[in-house]
Amino acid sequence: MACLLLSPVLFASGAEAADRIARQNGKPDFSGIWQTTSAADFDLEPHSTRKDAPPSAGIVVGNVIPYLPAALGQKQRNFAVRDSQDPRLKCWTLGTPRGVYYPEPFQILQRAQDLTLVFEFGHSVRTINTNGTQHPAEKHQFWLGDSRGHWDGDTLVVDVTDFEDETWLDRAGNFHSEDMHVVERWKLLDANTIDYRATIEDPNVFSRPWDIEVLLYRHREKDFQLIENYCFTLDYDKYYPVPAAQ
Amino acid sequence: MRSTETRSGPRRLSLVAAVWVVARTFASAQPAGAQDSAAQPATPAAAPGIRWEKSFTTIPSGRWTGHRLGDGQPDIQGDWSNSIANHDNFTDPQGGTPGDPVRRKRALGPRAERAPSRVSDPADGQVPFQPWARAKQQEFAAGLWNATRQEYIEPLARCAPAGIPKSFMWHGYEIRQFPQAVVFLFNSGTRIIHLDGKPHLPQNIKLWNGDSRGHWEGNTLVVDVTNSNSKARFARTGEFASENVHIRERYIFDNAGKRFDYEATFTDPTVYTQPWTVTIPNRRYVAGDPQDGWHYEVPLANSPGKELIADHVERPCVENNGPFGQVAVPKKAAP
Repeated sequence: MACLLLSPVLFASGAEAADRIARQNGKPDFSGIWQTTSAADFDLEPHSTRKDAPPSAGIVVGNVIPYLPAALGQKQRNFAVRDSQDPRLKCWTLGTPRGVYYPEPFQILQRAQDLTLVFEFGHSVRTINTNGTQHPAEKHQFWLGDSRGHWDGDTLVVDVTDFEDETWLDRAGNFHSEDMHVVERWKLLDANTIDYRATIEDPNVFSRPWDIEVLLYRHREKDFQLIENYCFTLDYDKYYPVPAAQ
Repeated sequence: MRSTETRSGPRRLSLVAAVWVVARTFASAQPAGAQDSAAQPATPAAAPGIRWEKSFTTIPSGRWTGHRLGDGQPDIQGDWSNSIANHDNFTDPQGGTPGDPVRRKRALGPRAERAPSRVSDPADGQVPFQPWARAKQQEFAAGLWNATRQEYIEPLARCAPAGIPKSFMWHGYEIRQFPQAVVFLFNSGTRIIHLDGKPHLPQNIKLWNGDSRGHWEGNTLVVDVTNSNSKARFARTGEFASENVHIRERYIFDNAGKRFDYEATFTDPTVYTQPWTVTIPNRRYVAGDPQDGWHYEVPLANSPGKELIADHVERPCVENNGPFGQVAVPKKAAP
């Protein structure tokens, strides 16, 4: 009789069990190492091939980022100097949402009270609080913004405010101001795929809110791990030869 | 436009202030952490100040009888800081930096009045350097206040990760636990200690924080570290290892959950004459503890409930480095 009480999980085939979305504290478990296969970081908007970017249909819903006229001029100036002025070239914190679709892995470590996102690029750490706390009462400037999440069914909804204005959204010079507001929606489509969506608004830069949609895939290679990439140290690495006996 | 005032707002972390020094002339370069030394005697009346113990009792390895997480690990999550000193001096932790041009308010008393060396083995409290390595360490120490060469500026002053073991002497830090890893969020750098038993990375990969594999033995987290690039110095007195170093760490937690001892044995036949062990005592801080600008800089979250919740904010460094940052990206014109 005891076997009748066992969970059906035990009777599922191996393949089905592997595809099942893991849960933690009653919520989908996003733990794992993730990466986009898209070319989003090269340019969020649709673009033909060019010397510094593969062609891509982009990840902007409706294809066009709705810049205010003056801001569009700034974006075009950024684009013209992208090969020298993209903050990523200095290994600065990529920001939100750029870190999510940057083509380098990031790890999600999940607890009931928060999700810790460790980005291999720069080894920067973003905390998404899911403990019922609210944005700070006073305004701040964070490179990754201030993230407060809640669960809408099985979707993690994250409200992100309090930004710096020095991060770019991609290598094409798309940008924002300190008043950017990002609302993310994270949803597991299956055990190994995240449907990541974000609404971006910024009254100083865009004429209306706009959306991006991109899939993130789980790294399933055996023994895969992040390899810390403190790339901002590379410029002074030469000053620190490891001492050795002469 | 961002103002200086908002730059240095209360949730900006203090490492930022230490980094602007690099662009100054070498002769006058003042490495990171100088502010910490200066801050020790000056305790504002309203703040608890930066407190340091002169002695401590070591914690024995043994059973864990405290709270456990759902996966069975001892629950040691939260905010911690070492209890004896910053990174000024490795073997005389409260003795200050050698050659410090800032005159002390009080002369140093007898050595016995200060915390013991962090080197707990061998018994003489000294890193057992080979002669060439001792000479190099002393060269680094002499260069601290007379930085005539780029390599005399400690990497941490340029926002490099503090590495092992200096991360435990550089501000408070947070530990987060997960079934697959224990994660240390240091003031400069982050360590992921893998608990899943996978093999180390290939040895031709060298990292500021090395590559860590851990497991629990009762109240002790045992960690094996390889793949170190050994560019980080242990302290401002210039102690170091080479890329061949093998570090075996033991994090020994007391069952009350208030303290732990960090013990790490360094084996590196290319630099030392024998393996040696560093011991660093640490204590826990909790939400609501007074912020002191060094051990505990964690703000309270904006929470609708009555429970005090510690809020953990990002820890950028290079981006806020004056001469490297700010002006490095031209300000965008207002749209």
